[in-house]
Amino acid sequence: MDLSLNDDQIAILDTIDTLAKPYASPPMQDISFALTSEELDRELFDGGFLDIAFDPDLGAVSAALMIERLARLPYTVEAAASALIRPLIGADLPRPICLVEEGKGRRPVRFLRPGATMLVVGKAQVSAFTADADHIRIEDTLYGYPMATLVVDPAAAGAVPLDVSADELRTRWRVAIAAEGAGLLAAALASTAAHVTDRQQFGRPIATFQAVRHRLAEAQVRANGAYWLAMKAARTLDPGDAALAALHVQQSAGPAVYDFHQFLGAMGVTLEHPLHLWTYRLKALIGDLGGRGEQGIAAGAAIWG
Amino acid sequence: MNFEWTEEEALFRLRLQDFLARNLPADWEAVAGHGPGSAELTEFSRLFCGRLADEGLLTPHWAKEIGGQGLDPWHQLILAEEMWAAGEPRGAQYMNVNWIGPTLIKYGTGEQQARYLPPIAAGDAIWCQGFSEPGSGSDLASLRTRATADGDVYRVSGQKIWTSYAGLAETCFLLCRTGDDRKRGISILLVPMDTPGITVRQIPSIIGEGDIHEVFFDDVVVPATARLGDEGQAWEIIAFSLTNERLGIPRYHLARTALDRAVGILKDQGEFVSETVRVEAANAAALCEAARLASYAIVSRRARGEAIGAESSSARFGTVMAERRVAEFIVEYLSESLGDAHPYLKMHHQRGIVAGIAAGAAEIQLNIIASDVLKLPREPR
Ligand SMILES: Cc1cc2nc3c(=O)[nH]c(=O)nc-3n(C[C@H](O)[C@H](O)[C@H](O)COP(=O)(O)OP(=O)(O)OC[C@H]3O[C@@H](n4cnc5c(N)ncnc54)[C@H](O)[C@@H]3O)c2cc1C
Repeated sequence: MDLSLNDDQIAILDTIDTLAKPYASPPMQDISFALTSEELDRELFDGGFLDIAFDPDLGAVSAALMIERLARLPYTVEAAASALIRPLIGADLPRPICLVEEGKGRRPVRFLRPGATMLVVGKAQVSAFTADADHIRIEDTLYGYPMATLVVDPAAAGAVPLDVSADELRTRWRVAIAAEGAGLLAAALASTAAHVTDRQQFGRPIATFQAVRHRLAEAQVRANGAYWLAMKAARTLDPGDAALAALHVQQSAGPAVYDFHQFLGAMGVTLEHPLHLWTYRLKALIGDLGGRGEQGIAAGAAIWG
Repeated sequence: MNFEWTEEEALFRLRLQDFLARNLPADWEAVAGHGPGSAELTEFSRLFCGRLADEGLLTPHWAKEIGGQGLDPWHQLILAEEMWAAGEPRGAQYMNVNWIGPTLIKYGTGEQQARYLPPIAAGDAIWCQGFSEPGSGSDLASLRTRATADGDVYRVSGQKIWTSYAGLAETCFLLCRTGDDRKRGISILLVPMDTPGITVRQIPSIIGEGDIHEVFFDDVVVPATARLGDEGQAWEIIAFSLTNERLGIPRYHLARTALDRAVGILKDQGEFVSETVRVEAANAAALCEAARLASYAIVSRRARGEAIGAESSSARFGTVMAERRVAEFIVEYLSESLGDAHPYLKMHHQRGIVAGIAAGAAEIQLNIIASDVLKLPREPR
């Protein structure tokens, strides 16, 4: 076993860091819930980064590492499904790649917009269609992602079955949730740690109060666990590993989000502070694929039968 | 980044499992059930560790020059996982091979090494760790047991507490005060437990017999040659020892093994059906595996010769979370008496509370993570 990054992975992360540098902080005066960047999206796509998992030598771990790193940006891009799920369904379908569970069509879908590929993931079958303006209602999103809701039945929108295993797709979806969630947890934690270090009350940084320190330390333990579970699941693509990874992220996100905002006090309620750009994505991820209950059931079935 | 065992590592694990299958007696689980500090397990450990030594499996992770095979930290980890999952038949001697031996090798005099290493390497030595005192737990540097130099001996007076294995140990790895400076005033003495003036009293506890003790030192005469390292060097030496100790007990693996056993029992009884129970089991497994990987990440760095810092506190706290959740799962959902269920489930139940206390309390780990991983400003003293 060797959990260190190999040379390819180091090179990919270095390039991603360089490419992402202009997006490392939100623009001044931004007051949006979801911060997107077409340029960042284009650079990732044109640079071939969203295709790295097609290369068997690089594989899903490299994709997961990239997704985790990108999730730390205040900007959100549709990288997770593109990088992890396109290797199953082929590179031809137009991006963004959007995911919804069959029968959950009323839930808002991340990145859904006209021209996107809508994947409808059923128990045994996956179908796809290209969304157009009539199929969707753009949401005034309450989450850190641009979102829209389907207003038509997938069949009526011309969804056609894909020749892929629904189980394999769900496994990759879980890896995507885990890798993105791990990056979001890490970034939100770092943002909170910076705030409590600067902010003084009672004549000392609030980071010196144990009530604050210990809850942040616990969040670090969880974020670190989430990172490693995500990477292992990306490596094995095992259904049990993937379900545990997604479960751990969804389980950890809830309390972490409230603690992080709590420790910012009223500043954490403003749109001026960027914290919500990470935490509101975490809030959205909590509900993916049926939430932690479904992840737990899937993990239980995969591990113990 | 790869998460697979190499063929050689997998074979090493199989070799250990084979060894265990050949060397654990039929009544082994009953012996293990007495607990690591019990007379039964201690006696068995001498036999068992002797056989491990015969097959080169007691100290394979020690360097070649000192009688090991120079196997890397992954092998040490695999060894620990397999032994603990089997109920730790090495008993108290796991401490010797994990940190007492390596510490003696690094800091001991030739005479100390000649005296203490052969029995350790032969699997026939019981040590105890005399650190904690009634007034000095988490704040270990406040310890007061005093060693006063008197010609070429020290006279030691004071009290240790919570000392595991002290009742049966031959030697104590003793921390005592030789000077006034909080940390640089502490020295290590290697003290034979049969030295006149030492009194050991067992403390009845929720983790079974023979585990924790009080040890009293009443004007105990110890030759100066029994000092490990220089006067005042203890703090530096135990920092080295503890990095080895922290890797020593793969409690996440114990917790996961206990969880799998509990689920197995529930399944046999047709009770692993309710979604609530299944989700709770998965939650516990997620914590175990998160802690496992956090620990593996550290071993991976050690195997590459990198220095390990506060991240070991993070892995440890993750393990505490996992152990507690598993212990809760067992009492919450197992529908038979813990006494009737597998003896290791009872042990796990008993140990769930210890996880956050022994070898550095949980809040201390959280403080370390806050200061040294998150780099938050320290608390005012
Ligand atoms: C089963 C078992 C075996 C042991 N074996 C040995 C042994 O062989 N040899 C040996 O020397 N010792 C041994 N110990 C002792 C162990 O090392 C101590 O229990 C441990 O260091 C904690 O010290 P304490 O028990 O005095 O708790 P305390 O230090 O009194 O701590 C009690 C609580 O207060 C918290 N606390 C303390 N300081 C702070 C702080 N600054 N900030 C926030 N919270 C704080 C702690 O985290 C803990 O929750 C053993 C203990 C157990 C339970």
